[in-house]
Amino acid sequence: MTPRKKLLIYKILLFLFAFIVAFIPGTVSRNMEVNSRVIVEMIGIDQGEEVEVTAQYVMPLEKEGTSKDVVTVKGSTLTEAVETLNTALGRRAELGHCSIVIVGKSVKPQLLGTLMTVTDVTADVYLAAAQDKASELVSDITEFMKKTGATDADFIAYSAKKAHVATTTLLNFLSDIGGASHTAFMPVVETLEKPDGSGGGGQSGGQGGGESASGQSGGGQSGGGAEEAPIGMKVENLALYAENGRAGIIDRSSARGVAWVSAPIEKGIVVADVQYDGNIIKDVSGRLIKKKAKIKIDAANNKATIKVNATIEPNGDKFNELDAENSDAARKAIKGAFENSIRNEILKAYYDAAEYDCDPLFLGRQFYRYAPDEFDPDYSVDDIIVDAQVNVSLK
Amino acid sequence: MSENNSATEDVKSQSSGSTSGERADVCEKQSTSRQLVMIVFIMAFATKMFLLPIFLIQTIGRDAYIALAIGGGIDLSALAVFIVCMVKAQTDFFTILSAVLGKVGAKITVGIIGLFLFFKLNIGISETLRFYSGSVFGDFNVLFMLVPLLIFFCAVANHTLRALCRLNEIILPLIVVCIAILITVVALTGFDLANIFPSMQYPDVFKTEAVHHAAWLGDFTPLVLFVGRTKTKKHTALFAGISGTVGTGIAVFFALVMSAAFGNVRVLVDSSTNLSSILQYSLGNVYGRVDLFSSVIWSISTFIESALLYYAACRCFAFVIGKNAHFWIALIAALATYLIQVCAMTDPTVFSVIVTSIVTSVATLTLTVATPALALVCTLVHRMRCEKDVSGGDSKQSGDCIGDATRRVNGENRI
Repeated sequence: MTPRKKLLIYKILLFLFAFIVAFIPGTVSRNMEVNSRVIVEMIGIDQGEEVEVTAQYVMPLEKEGTSKDVVTVKGSTLTEAVETLNTALGRRAELGHCSIVIVGKSVKPQLLGTLMTVTDVTADVYLAAAQDKASELVSDITEFMKKTGATDADFIAYSAKKAHVATTTLLNFLSDIGGASHTAFMPVVETLEKPDGSGGGGQSGGQGGGESASGQSGGGQSGGGAEEAPIGMKVENLALYAENGRAGIIDRSSARGVAWVSAPIEKGIVVADVQYDGNIIKDVSGRLIKKKAKIKIDAANNKATIKVNATIEPNGDKFNELDAENSDAARKAIKGAFENSIRNEILKAYYDAAEYDCDPLFLGRQFYRYAPDEFDPDYSVDDIIVDAQVNVSLK
Repeated sequence: MSENNSATEDVKSQSSGSTSGERADVCEKQSTSRQLVMIVFIMAFATKMFLLPIFLIQTIGRDAYIALAIGGGIDLSALAVFIVCMVKAQTDFFTILSAVLGKVGAKITVGIIGLFLFFKLNIGISETLRFYSGSVFGDFNVLFMLVPLLIFFCAVANHTLRALCRLNEIILPLIVVCIAILITVVALTGFDLANIFPSMQYPDVFKTEAVHHAAWLGDFTPLVLFVGRTKTKKHTALFAGISGTVGTGIAVFFALVMSAAFGNVRVLVDSSTNLSSILQYSLGNVYGRVDLFSSVIWSISTFIESALLYYAACRCFAFVIGKNAHFWIALIAALATYLIQVCAMTDPTVFSVIVTSIVTSVATLTLTVATPALALVCTLVHRMRCEKDVSGGDSKQSGDCIGDATRRVNGENRI
């Protein structure tokens, strides 16, 4: 055998060995049957006297398809609740695949820190807030997912960059809370119910209707299929958090203002009323192509200037209406309207958040980063003089 | 039998040597220039990029990357000195030491270096076990995981430096690809780099904790085995320097990313936190698992560094006892390592006390600086003596320059 062939065999054996070492232990230590595993895709957490964990799980079936259902467990601590989840499902619930955590109204940020450190939930999992109880929202979302065929947290993953929603991950949220601004946010997820009297009927999608009513599962309470699935999802408002828990919820336009400054959004729609040639053209829209935001501070005067540069592609129909191709004035009017709209959203975010003594634009953090000696850890966001400078480039 | 075979393969006299230029080939070159560059690259970042950033973040916070950069700078200085030694040396490190310090002095010195390498080996193994038991093989007992690792190290110690270099040559491309993937993912997902500011808010804490983590210095110390045994070319020194700098730069970059990610929440960092957790702006499940896979693959580099430390420590012990009983030395070193790991290092508290004590830090820093400095001084003295002997025609001394190497060919003192 030539040395070249020997070397080739040596390489193959080496990679084979590496493959075995990397994968075999994880495989042999688990039950080989796929249908004996439980993968948790979404969890909801509520905190009262006890910690309540609601898990949307998937159980692969021997037959074609999977079973998606919900189970709720309680424990005096989060660790105990997660252990109870395993007991309820009769096997170890794999939390490493969880892609979204729904946070109930009363949950403290410290509990989310525990979630990251003592469970297999990863740091890059998305967070979303429920208006009130996370368990109810998880059940509703599960029904909606069965109905639409949506998997995981597609809606929130999409919103992270493709829509104008300020999303956050578990690590990012905890980092923001632990930062100098002591504020963090997460989008509020709401379900849209069918209006009363509009009829009803069964589940759309036979699989969902059939499998959702699986009743009790182990020691937990399983989500029922009796309730009608929501007809839609809404992710518009933003829940603000301080160190001791949820401070409040800001509305859609303020949430958009936070997204302009504090979220890595890449897409979105901007709408503004344009005043042109003595007329007001309502709802001229444009598509955000890219944006860049930075905050410049003047520590001596306690002033923060938010600078946003955005590239927007105006909607074709309205743009033609304004005769933009032939008129610089029209372009200027649209540009100004968009700039005003964005500026108003940013300033509204600042003022609305200040009412809850929150700083989701992270102005305080900027002072701490670039003027640490002059930074007061107990600063009030009201004391900062804020200005927003928006520059829109029309594509 | 294998000992005899590898003894002849290990060191061969290629020339009886009549000029200083020819004496450069007195020892058989076990490493090519390219292999040296690759080994330097691995050693620059392997353990520095592994759990050290986590330990530094836990204690120093967002300035962790600065401490790591300073440590990297000290190690790069040591690397520069080793590279000069490699270029100037006419024979291997042990021969040079024996010629300059005498046999007893050389054995004491090599013994100390061997113990230092053995200590660093145990740090590397402990980190590896902690990461894999926490992240990858959660259900596996550490005591069993240690056995195949030590078998691998024993196999390496029973082969030659050339074999280890070849192994590294094979694995390195995979590691480079994985690191490239990680850097790409980090760049794509973005991270709040500004979170490393403000810097040096607590300089006293920084100084204290940075000193207490000096045990991670000295990653290039095993390069003493490459002195006089590497086929150096015109640009070997340059490429090795660049390789070390790039490797250190990668380690500092990832430490910086993790410092930015965990600067505000350092209590959340633990040994299961690795590069996979730096994606604070997740792109979702598509990229999330690619980075996890890559971070597991690149960590193989710590096996290579640990193997080299093991190999170097065993060779030092062989020199001290003056026998080429590599099998038995490797076996005893494996047993000692197993006991140290089981009895002490697997306990996080004991590990922390041993590794971060001021005695350990001072000793490590001293040896990190002293070893290359000693190597350089001895190399230059040895070189001057040999050149003087050759020009003066002192055949006895001239014979001493190559005598040790010739003896090793006969299996007397194989390195």
